[in-house]
Amino acid sequence: MNYLQIANSLSLYLLVGAILLFIAAGCVVFMIKSYRAGLKIGMDKKVLTGAITSSAAFTVLPSISILLGVIALSGSLGVPAAWLRLSVVGNIQYEATVANIAAENMGTALDSSVLTMNNLVTILLVMTVGIIWGCLLTIFTLKGYSKKLKLSSGKKSNSNGGFANFAMTGMMIGLCATFVGSYIATTFVKANSTPLITLLVSGLFMALFDTLAKKYNVTWLENFSLSLAMLFGMFAAVVSNLIK
Amino acid sequence: MNEEFDFEAYQNDIHRTGRAMLSIGVIMLLACPFAMAYITGSTIEWNAFFKAIISVLIVYVPSCIVEYLIYVPLLGSGASYLTFITGNITNLKLPCAFNSRDMAGAKVGTVENEIISTLSVATSSLVTMLVIFLGVLLLIPLTPILQNPIIKPAFDNVLPALFGALGYQYFKKSIKITVFPLSFMVLLCLLIPSMVNQTSFLLIACGGIALALSYVFFKKGWIK
Repeated sequence: MNYLQIANSLSLYLLVGAILLFIAAGCVVFMIKSYRAGLKIGMDKKVLTGAITSSAAFTVLPSISILLGVIALSGSLGVPAAWLRLSVVGNIQYEATVANIAAENMGTALDSSVLTMNNLVTILLVMTVGIIWGCLLTIFTLKGYSKKLKLSSGKKSNSNGGFANFAMTGMMIGLCATFVGSYIATTFVKANSTPLITLLVSGLFMALFDTLAKKYNVTWLENFSLSLAMLFGMFAAVVSNLIK
Repeated sequence: MNEEFDFEAYQNDIHRTGRAMLSIGVIMLLACPFAMAYITGSTIEWNAFFKAIISVLIVYVPSCIVEYLIYVPLLGSGASYLTFITGNITNLKLPCAFNSRDMAGAKVGTVENEIISTLSVATSSLVTMLVIFLGVLLLIPLTPILQNPIIKPAFDNVLPALFGALGYQYFKKSIKITVFPLSFMVLLCLLIPSMVNQTSFLLIACGGIALALSYVFFKKGWIK
């Protein structure tokens, strides 16, 4: 069996399925508890069911976008690993970036023709440990933190802002600059223009979707812009490789 | 509010259930790579793991802490437990909870918001898992097509595609902050070609430069 056949084996699907089933069951428990609490405090049933149906409707399109991320990652990590990583903690930006960092530190790349199962399990562990901190903070400090945030009917709580927002933007700019810079340099250093072509096409489509969504109020496009731009970029990689 | 309802008891129950669920969930997630290694007869490459995790932690732990501090007051306890284990916070869970809250007319920091946000995030998480599950079922027969050599360059270039789109989104937020780390990265890689494959190490340098610039510009009032 080759790498991708093992990475896509039935036993791994079952393992991932069991983990996701547990988390889904947790969601159902919270749903029941909050629905009952809503009824107890006298909230209208219509408001509660309205929250459920509107959330379900709101989620369908972004979920398809997340699914496209699963497809994108499954080419190198196999379907079960991509399925797990994009169904829990994190998002496509984090997962793809961290998978690449882990692969690089093993002297390999996110490429199914060079990856091994040793690489895959190591990548998966790095992806998990790197993003687990929000969960750990929640487990150990949420009770105390939420007590500090005075919960009173009708009163607004303080929402943090200030430099924190700029810090996150700054960190993301640093992250993007690292990868964009390396792809620009790759064109000259390795005489390989495919990453830069992919990057430019993806960026151009992102700009196009952004303009369409804002100027012409095509709001549904906002949910898909990242995934669609990525797909166009990836398509450009295929075309670029064919005409080389 | 109904006087029979004990909000304190409800909150304690949510915290108890949430802690138990998250603890088991985290253990399962951490155990997964080891279980995969056991099933497939492979081993974790610890040297590479420790080298990679240092870069990842430096970049992502601060953002995990900032996200936690900002989102918990907006979501409430119940929704926070679910949000932090199911992920996709900024691109899905948060806007979904805000949308439901607006529709229900609940205000941030109220009991109603706590309940609506929990219902909303729980529903959203379940729908996402269902859509991805159905998609994965469809993907299984497509796996041989996805491995086709003609299509392979598409999957080899997932990261350039991602950073093309993300770069557009973030660079336009502040060209002033972008110019220096981007120029630094390009020049460094051109002068020392081996640096092209050292993104995990350079990420710390570029992230640090961008963060420091953000701080200086924020203090000077050059970015708003």
